[in-house]
Amino acid sequence: MVEILGKQIPNQLDELTIQQFEDITEIHNDSSLDIIEKHIKVFELLGVSEDEMVEADVDFETFKKYVQEFNQKTDAEIIKEIEIDGYTYKSHEEEFKLSVKDMKVIEKIINSKHKGYLSELIAVLFKRTDLSKVEHYDKAHIKHKTKLFREQKAAVAVPYLVYIGQKFSKQIENATTEVVE
Amino acid sequence: MLLPKSWNDIDVLQFKELRTLKDIPELFSREIEALATLTGLPSEELEDYDVDEIQKFMKELHWINSEPPKKYKLEFNKLTLGEFIDIEYFFSKDYIENISEIAAVCYKKTKKNEWKETIYEPYTYSPFDRAYLFDEIPIPNIYGIIPEYLSFRDNFMKTYANLFEPEFEEETEEDIKDLTPEEKKEIQEEKKIKKWSWERLLYSICNEDLTKINQVSDLSLIFVFNMLSMKKELNL
Repeated sequence: MVEILGKQIPNQLDELTIQQFEDITEIHNDSSLDIIEKHIKVFELLGVSEDEMVEADVDFETFKKYVQEFNQKTDAEIIKEIEIDGYTYKSHEEEFKLSVKDMKVIEKIINSKHKGYLSELIAVLFKRTDLSKVEHYDKAHIKHKTKLFREQKAAVAVPYLVYIGQKFSKQIENATTEVVE
Repeated sequence: MLLPKSWNDIDVLQFKELRTLKDIPELFSREIEALATLTGLPSEELEDYDVDEIQKFMKELHWINSEPPKKYKLEFNKLTLGEFIDIEYFFSKDYIENISEIAAVCYKKTKKNEWKETIYEPYTYSPFDRAYLFDEIPIPNIYGIIPEYLSFRDNFMKTYANLFEPEFEEETEEDIKDLTPEEKKEIQEEKKIKKWSWERLLYSICNEDLTKINQVSDLSLIFVFNMLSMKKELNL
């Protein structure tokens, strides 16, 4: 947590929810905002409004200090199992490996670029241990899991997002298209 | 998993299938389908592999992103008018999808005559009936037709530019909306003429005698166009 104007603001991955992480990502991807506006929006999202900043007469140096403190994050380890509402959700057994089936579903989700797609990605990776493969990939079930995972901590999601990001970069690097047309 | 080593291991059908995969928007899904096409394995079976393994396979198959080699050289100058019209038809549709039909027009049975000269069979067959013969041969054996024909066609069109009407851009609904009824009628007429252009040419060369169509189709393409150029230039 970081303290801004006397308020405790979550900034670590085990403090932010996946939902909050998604909202922050969306703000940072908004090209209509400049860098200062982005940070103001993020603080607003987490509980400190712009009006409060103006009222407290926060100068630029103090604001910069808030941003620096907020951005100091510790890395999260891969969590392979999580329990929600009495059910166990598992992403892998020994070593995490992304299966082709998961990657195909994930690729479709990423391409759709809809709001909240990060939690849906995590919902695909974590599978309820008492269910079969058919249910794991059922659209309604993934939708249900997405809602559940949105409330979990970002620490569950971020290591997987980094991993998937790396796989995609490698994939794009390998694919050079040079067709006759 | 047994992976093909080069284009020589890929037949025409596989090549056509590979080219249709470009319509799949997701990169990874497209690569899985490509791998399924190249190995003959169902894509569902490949879903059990992990992404790293698939990326390793695709690295070995990097050559599929290049053009297949072009082995044979064809003499398009020797085409007949009928062969040219048929090839033009296939190219205007989709030359990758129709590559077997195009090959069926270009490659013919041969024999030696009493003077030990190579004689080609006449073009009396339908390319649709023969296309299957080319589906299972390695793609490099016939791929050369595509770039070679495109280059021949380009030169041909330049040489006989005076005989070809300038290509009009296809009008969109938006373009047509504000036109007068006369202008709209004109566009319709143009479309009709364009649709039947080859038939009109054949019909005019055989002096509107349909029984001579086959004879005209068997004439050398270059000869026909030279004569047509002369006719036009001398206003005959």
